[in-house]
Amino acid sequence: MELNIPQFDPDEEEQANRKSRREAAAEVQGNMSGRRALKAVLIDLSGTLHIEDTAVPGAQEALNRLRQACVAVKFVTNTTKESKRSLMERLHRLNFNLQEKEIFTSLSAARRLLEQKQHRPLLLVEDSALEDFTGIDTSEPNAVVVGLAPDHFNYQTLNKAFSMILDGAPLIAIHKARYYKQKDGLALGPGAFVTGLEYATDCKATVVGKPEKTFFTQALHDLGCSPGEAVMIGDDARDDVGGAQNAGMLGILVRTGKYRDGDENKIQPPPHLTCDSFPDAVEHILKNLL
Amino acid sequence: MAETKWPGCAGGLKAVVLDMCGVLYDSEPGRTVAIPGSVEAVNRLMSSDLQLRFCTNETQSSRDKFVAMLQTAGFDISVSQIFAPAPAAVAVLNERGLRPHLLVHDGVLSEFDSVDKTDPNCVVIGDAAEKFSYQNLNDAFRVLTGLEKPLLFSLGQGRYYKETNGLSLDVGVYMKALEYACDLKAEVIGKPSPRFFQSVLNDMGLQPHEVLMIGDDLVNDVGGAQNCGMKGIQVRTGKYRPSDEKHLTVTADGTVDNLSQAVDMILSQRGG
Repeated sequence: MELNIPQFDPDEEEQANRKSRREAAAEVQGNMSGRRALKAVLIDLSGTLHIEDTAVPGAQEALNRLRQACVAVKFVTNTTKESKRSLMERLHRLNFNLQEKEIFTSLSAARRLLEQKQHRPLLLVEDSALEDFTGIDTSEPNAVVVGLAPDHFNYQTLNKAFSMILDGAPLIAIHKARYYKQKDGLALGPGAFVTGLEYATDCKATVVGKPEKTFFTQALHDLGCSPGEAVMIGDDARDDVGGAQNAGMLGILVRTGKYRDGDENKIQPPPHLTCDSFPDAVEHILKNLL
Repeated sequence: MAETKWPGCAGGLKAVVLDMCGVLYDSEPGRTVAIPGSVEAVNRLMSSDLQLRFCTNETQSSRDKFVAMLQTAGFDISVSQIFAPAPAAVAVLNERGLRPHLLVHDGVLSEFDSVDKTDPNCVVIGDAAEKFSYQNLNDAFRVLTGLEKPLLFSLGQGRYYKETNGLSLDVGVYMKALEYACDLKAEVIGKPSPRFFQSVLNDMGLQPHEVLMIGDDLVNDVGGAQNCGMKGIQVRTGKYRPSDEKHLTVTADGTVDNLSQAVDMILSQRGG
């Protein structure tokens, strides 16, 4: 079987929604003359700035050049297990210049949703992700948050989560990846468990990570700019570029990380730009979008 | 022309197929309790001229242990009369030359003793309960992703069931999880799969219109049997809900209070 790693697959309902989103995005693109000046750049981490423990050549310098321009920068990523602090520490080790408050992850998006709705979650996330939920009340839980938690995905815990959802607790998914790559092979992603719980309870999960539109609008919210004033750079055609463009942003696809030949043809409308790597994307922004 | 409506159709029947849990007995903590009148109803069917088979989606124990458990509740049923998903799966595996990776309950493992499980080329999942850990599911997932043509068999597709200490997720949930992760469709073995009902008909050498199914599960027992051309009667015991009687897609040929009443009606149509 053919595997793209790690892969998201929007459910059928979403595919039905896609057309209207596509039309909306096309409208934004067709309306470029009315586009306001670029105010923000969202940047994916893994596969775009670095591949595992190696920085993309020239990426640190390119980031510094971008910072000297009059534009806000935010780092956005889908993670189910890494806290913002641990992401930042890894990037610091690779000599990237960034602060924790500039990182927005699928865990941040989940936290924001919990705060907005004042839910008390049962958190099925790995212990390493818990620090991003510090201060959230988890007593007498009334919502289920599913991340990736091999230690917690056992029969008892899933039965408990199931009973809560049946009693009316909302099901919140950090994201719906089918699987991810581990050193020793592929491993089941959170999407499998979310789908199982959806089937058992006949309900739909609220997904908070990329490529959801709300993920991008929330990431931009703190920067006080609208999607029409922002661009996203990433290596995942569907989740980074397609998601951002559906939200009304421009999307730039880089040919690093998980990029495979022809990925730019997998989304409609196509990426605003497809280029070799992050430094080229920055070059394009500095030359053409500011 | 022969009567086709319940209960008149009972006059022309040659066999009755019974669901087990919720029709014959209820499961209580640590024991099996016969539903009042069911032991006697089974005995009356056995001594009639009708053939009798039992059709269950039980996948937590082998038929041997299952028969012994039924005996303690007063039922005298032989292994050869029982149709369950595990032996049906074994038949499919043998027929297609498949070697399974098993994710099933320990209690049902012995049904697979005769099957070659080396170098697996498919996955079979059943209601594995406590064995549904991340690790075990991931092992099944890796077997599937390692196959050129991934093949998943699921012993039933139930969502959940009730136990004394609360609700438990059933095999269907884990089937859906693996389907999503591997982007495939599982083959379901057991009710309501037509193949499963057909195997019961083949065993008796009968045509579907000669056979009546009695069950407590409207969709899996009644609907499944009807899809095969059999009549389906629902009992108001077990998992029966009043809302079943106005279900959108499945309408039972008849609804009776319990097995005992069903057997009364069948036998009286046959002048017995």
